[in-house]
Amino acid sequence: MALSYSSPTALQPPPYREAESAILSSAIKHVPVHGFTQQALNLGAKDVGYLDISTNLFPRGAYDLVLYHLVTQRLALKHRIQFPEGQSIGVGRKVKSLILERLRANIDTGVLPRYQEALGLMSLAENIPSSLRELGLLSDEIWYLAGDTSVDSSWYTKRASLSGVYAATEVFQTTVDQSSDLKDTEEFLDRRLEEVRVVGSAVGGFGQWVGFQAGAFVNLARSKGVRI
Amino acid sequence: MSAAVPRAAKRLRLAPSRSWVCSECRRSFASSVRQRQQQPGQEDKTTHFGFETISESMKASKVAGVFSSVASNYDAMNDFMSLGIHRLWKDHFVRSLNPGVQYASVHDQQEGQRILDIAGGSGDIAIRMLDHATNINKDNKTHVTVSDINPDMLAEGRKRLSATSYQADGRVDYLEANAEDLSAVQSGSIDLYTVAFGIRNFTHKDKALREAFRVLKPGGVFACLEFAPQLSNPLFNAVYKRWSFSAIPLIGQIVAADRDSYQYLVESIERFPSQPEFAQMIKEAGFLIPGQKPDGTSIEGGWEDLSMGIAAIHKGVKPL
Ligand SMILES: C[S@@+](CC[C@H](N)C(=O)[O-])C[C@H]1O[C@@H](n2cnc3c(N)ncnc32)[C@H](O)[C@@H]1O
Repeated sequence: MALSYSSPTALQPPPYREAESAILSSAIKHVPVHGFTQQALNLGAKDVGYLDISTNLFPRGAYDLVLYHLVTQRLALKHRIQFPEGQSIGVGRKVKSLILERLRANIDTGVLPRYQEALGLMSLAENIPSSLRELGLLSDEIWYLAGDTSVDSSWYTKRASLSGVYAATEVFQTTVDQSSDLKDTEEFLDRRLEEVRVVGSAVGGFGQWVGFQAGAFVNLARSKGVRI
Repeated sequence: MSAAVPRAAKRLRLAPSRSWVCSECRRSFASSVRQRQQQPGQEDKTTHFGFETISESMKASKVAGVFSSVASNYDAMNDFMSLGIHRLWKDHFVRSLNPGVQYASVHDQQEGQRILDIAGGSGDIAIRMLDHATNINKDNKTHVTVSDINPDMLAEGRKRLSATSYQADGRVDYLEANAEDLSAVQSGSIDLYTVAFGIRNFTHKDKALREAFRVLKPGGVFACLEFAPQLSNPLFNAVYKRWSFSAIPLIGQIVAADRDSYQYLVESIERFPSQPEFAQMIKEAGFLIPGQKPDGTSIEGGWEDLSMGIAAIHKGVKPL
């Protein structure tokens, strides 16, 4: 694997085919009312002239709708925030702003009230690998946009710790803080970033991070009635 | 044990069956269908019948012979080939397709779906489709046309479906047709085309795929459940191949006194294209393959392997 923070999105072809984009972008508009569900997918398909049965285009059903939100909002992040040229803002502060901006996208798209369903779907065994992969790509994107393009032995640590901080903060946003100004979430995020700074690699260690997240996800999923 | 005993048993089983037709009549039926479709100049083309190479004109009638001879115990045959799990595969196949219009009242489509089950002689898939639409999606409108080239198989399906309420509700009808020529079905009229354990018997699979594309509505779905020629794991593959090539024809001989038909079934699976090849054929017929990337190269995930790849589900969506 290449150790680099180059924006993984820069050179890639569009992630969805025309028919998929059309259906998924309409379906996501039904999430505030119908949740991350097969029904939202069906309604999205019908909006653009497809049939209920056409949703067989999405092998993972409602989870493909979740993934669409994750991918499109990762790609949109670079357009949501511009750091002023010339002024020196520290990488740490940029990282924090980028995380908050990404979380704000959950509010702006109207999906936050249904985001527990998304987390539940992400935590299902068959979806965990692609959820983690998407989380890793988001971390890469955030480090890249924050201007940290160094390639050194701390790459895995940085990627893992940012992934951990982001995932924990998003769970907090979803389950505790549903306010639109994200005040509590911001405080929660400050504490997580401070932990990473102080404890450093101990928290950032990949193994520990995976263990910690798996535990958090399982607990969350159980609390939502998913039998694991 | 001598072969005479099972042979007698077979006769006993077949004799009282309403659907029994003398095998000569069946063969001449199949060849008359074949003759109507044959283009001039194609007389001498050859094709595969299992591992035998025969003239194309003979394949349809040979296949008809196989299914006429196994019509009454095709279930047993499927059990041997799938190690007894074809019923679970069929359940999964239907569940994953999710037929029926969910929450029909939410949007204006009150019609239900039109499903065409090709090579559906046994009625197995049709019953599951209607059960799913009715019980899961609360859809009492969705309709299935069961189609098969073989009148004996079709009669078998009719018998089973007439034991359900779907027959009385007018939610099922029957069509005797070759999947390579569905001229009785209007273009753009079908929501879902299914074919389970049938397509490997077709002489021209590409023709059948083009017909599927034609009869489907834009947005309609092609779905196929079929045995695959290779298991994903080479070790299991070796074991399974040994089982299917040596044991199944033998069992066929013992339970049905019909080694040749079962031999054909095993060999027709071996001849069937691999999953990537078949996905490519579906794509070439014009379908969108689920899970494919926009650059079109990777077709990983364009199908679903069942039970380590003994069988696979392929799908394609007809674009608008
Ligand atoms: C193994 S049976 C499968 C029956 C059923 N779909 C199931 O899964 O239980 C294969 C069927 O394919 C039919 N068949 C063979 N060639 C055909 C063709 N060219 N067109 C239509 N049906 C065909 C046979 O008559 C037979 O009923």
